[in-house]
Amino acid sequence: MELVVTKNFGNPQSWTLESYRKAGGYQALEKVLNEMTPEDVSELVKESGLSGRGGAFFPTGLKWQFVRSDPKTPRYVVINGDESEPGTYVNRYSLELDPHLMLEGMLIAAYACNATLGYVYIRGEYGLAHERTQAAIREAYEAGYLGQNIMGKEGFSFEVTFRRGAGAYIVGEETALFNSLEGKRGNPRYKPPFPTNVGVWGLPTAINNVETLSAAPAIIENGTEWFQNLGHGEATGTKMYCLSGRVAKPGVHELPLGTTARELIYDYGGGVLDGRPLKGFKPGGASSAALGPEHLDAALEPRSMAALGTIMGTGGVVVYDDTVCMVDAAYRDALFFEEESCGFCIPCREGAPNLVQICERIMHGQGTLDDLDLLEDLGASMMASFCGLGQFAHQPVRGAVRAFRDEFEAHIRDRHCEAGVCQFANNGRLA
Amino acid sequence: MAIHAGAPRRSTLAPGDHAKLDDLRARLADLKDEPGATLEALYAAQAVFSYVPPEAVTMIAEELRLPESEVFGVLTFYTMFHRKPSAKYVLRVCRDLSCHISGAPAVLKALNDELGTRVSEVTEDGLFETESVSCLGLCDLQPAVMVNLEQHGPLDAEKARGLLADLRAREA
Ligand SMILES: Cc1cc2nc3c(=O)[nH]c(=O)nc-3n(C[C@H](O)[C@H](O)[C@H](O)COP(=O)(O)O)c2cc1C
Ligand code: SF4
Ligand code: FES
Repeated sequence: MELVVTKNFGNPQSWTLESYRKAGGYQALEKVLNEMTPEDVSELVKESGLSGRGGAFFPTGLKWQFVRSDPKTPRYVVINGDESEPGTYVNRYSLELDPHLMLEGMLIAAYACNATLGYVYIRGEYGLAHERTQAAIREAYEAGYLGQNIMGKEGFSFEVTFRRGAGAYIVGEETALFNSLEGKRGNPRYKPPFPTNVGVWGLPTAINNVETLSAAPAIIENGTEWFQNLGHGEATGTKMYCLSGRVAKPGVHELPLGTTARELIYDYGGGVLDGRPLKGFKPGGASSAALGPEHLDAALEPRSMAALGTIMGTGGVVVYDDTVCMVDAAYRDALFFEEESCGFCIPCREGAPNLVQICERIMHGQGTLDDLDLLEDLGASMMASFCGLGQFAHQPVRGAVRAFRDEFEAHIRDRHCEAGVCQFANNGRLA
Repeated sequence: MAIHAGAPRRSTLAPGDHAKLDDLRARLADLKDEPGATLEALYAAQAVFSYVPPEAVTMIAEELRLPESEVFGVLTFYTMFHRKPSAKYVLRVCRDLSCHISGAPAVLKALNDELGTRVSEVTEDGLFETESVSCLGLCDLQPAVMVNLEQHGPLDAEKARGLLADLRAREA
């Protein structure tokens, strides 16, 4: 299969400008600057079907058109490299192995948006990514791909500032990221207005995920039909999926968007670790609810995942085998959201610790069947949360109850943990 | 703007550290006029002191012309900033799902046992502390540990002890 966003990963010193140029780098930008108008670019990207790889799958070309249509200036392009969704590490690979591809995509976006300023924001823990991306920005300035009159194009100028986070999952939410860029606490902002009109510093902003922008150069070079045909069924393009958990070979695989979980786990991941039975899998990060093995043939793309009551999310697939207790797994997700809740709104700040406590009760043999209903009610109240974190935080726990109810009931009724993770003493207290 | 009105915050600076405030002021000169540079300013303070003492918060507020409460608010929001002296090697052990089901608890235990410390407690020689943290984006290295910003994994109890031995050898 043809690769879009990982095609350069195997090249020696792939992160350097020299290597990137050797692989044909910055030719798409040249084509854009010489042959296309900003309208042409956003139309082409719209037609290609490219949509946001950060997990929301918003049409990318449309976003760029919205930004360009807002009369306020300066306009911004922001790269979201905050990647912190548990089970997800695809952006890390791109940032470490091919930062120029993302920068070229950013410049194409800047041209389409009539934007003149940009930020690259990378989570604080990605030290190697910081080094390589900063080096790539320096190289791009020296070679005239950044700065004034880029590649000799009169009037096309773009300045980029590098920024790093300092440990906070919520900052991946776009409006929280703007606050962080402005040097503030990373609480989200109310939407609308949307970032396309009121983004960083209150100005029109195209914020895109690393992988989304990395796909743009190939679309310019190979056309929309090529890109569309890379996906399975109605899904267009490719996705960087990544595997972790109880899988034989964890790793990143760029595959057609809409690849089945079975193909990903068995053909690319070598199956379940030690050949054990598969208990289930998570399609895309902590925010996604786990599915049982009966759904292995479902396509990992937004629509089919939504039909199963979960989300495609980040494509960070986590594999469960029979050594994993689903109550414990749900508890881990709950703990994550409790820790990462920014505390700004009540449904999430209060709801997330409640999820944790209910899971703990069940794991300690002190849960009741009413607790399972309580989780549903709690989830419904958390839907009133201010941002996506709280709106999704309860989904993995409720999803686990839905798909693995027997296991929850065995903990409650029989104080029995099939996987042997939860140890109950005779009186129901944790041993 | 004072954070605790009427009750000045107690200094945490070691006697020898007061001179380092000049070093911080010099580092802040570059950031003064850059809009939104609060996080970078806090990183600068942490680079100087290994943590962000109250005096640094005051200085950042003055130099960046921000309310002290805002700087303090940013400091407390992000988990990578320390408010007490941190170890030379901060060992961040991931506690999230993929690492958890791949043996992270045994790795954390081995590190703490070997160091004789609990999470977030610095060893007496000032070299090590463990932290139990959210997903590091190193899930392919499950269970993963970051030593400052250096990536390590997959680890088990034995490899975790080996990692400590390597770090100690660097110091020898
Ligand atoms: C809690 C939360 C965390 C998020 N984290 C990220 C992230 O780490 N990276 C990312 O690209 N998008 C993240 N998003 C989605 C962004 O808000 C936004 O939709 C995305 O950056 C837009 O870029 P795209 O259209 O290219 O996907 C997050 C959203 C929420 C609600
Ligand atoms: S939902 Fe959670 S993360 Fe989002 S604003 Fe509310 S408290 Fe903060
Ligand atoms: S779950 Fe441990 S690094 Fe992602």
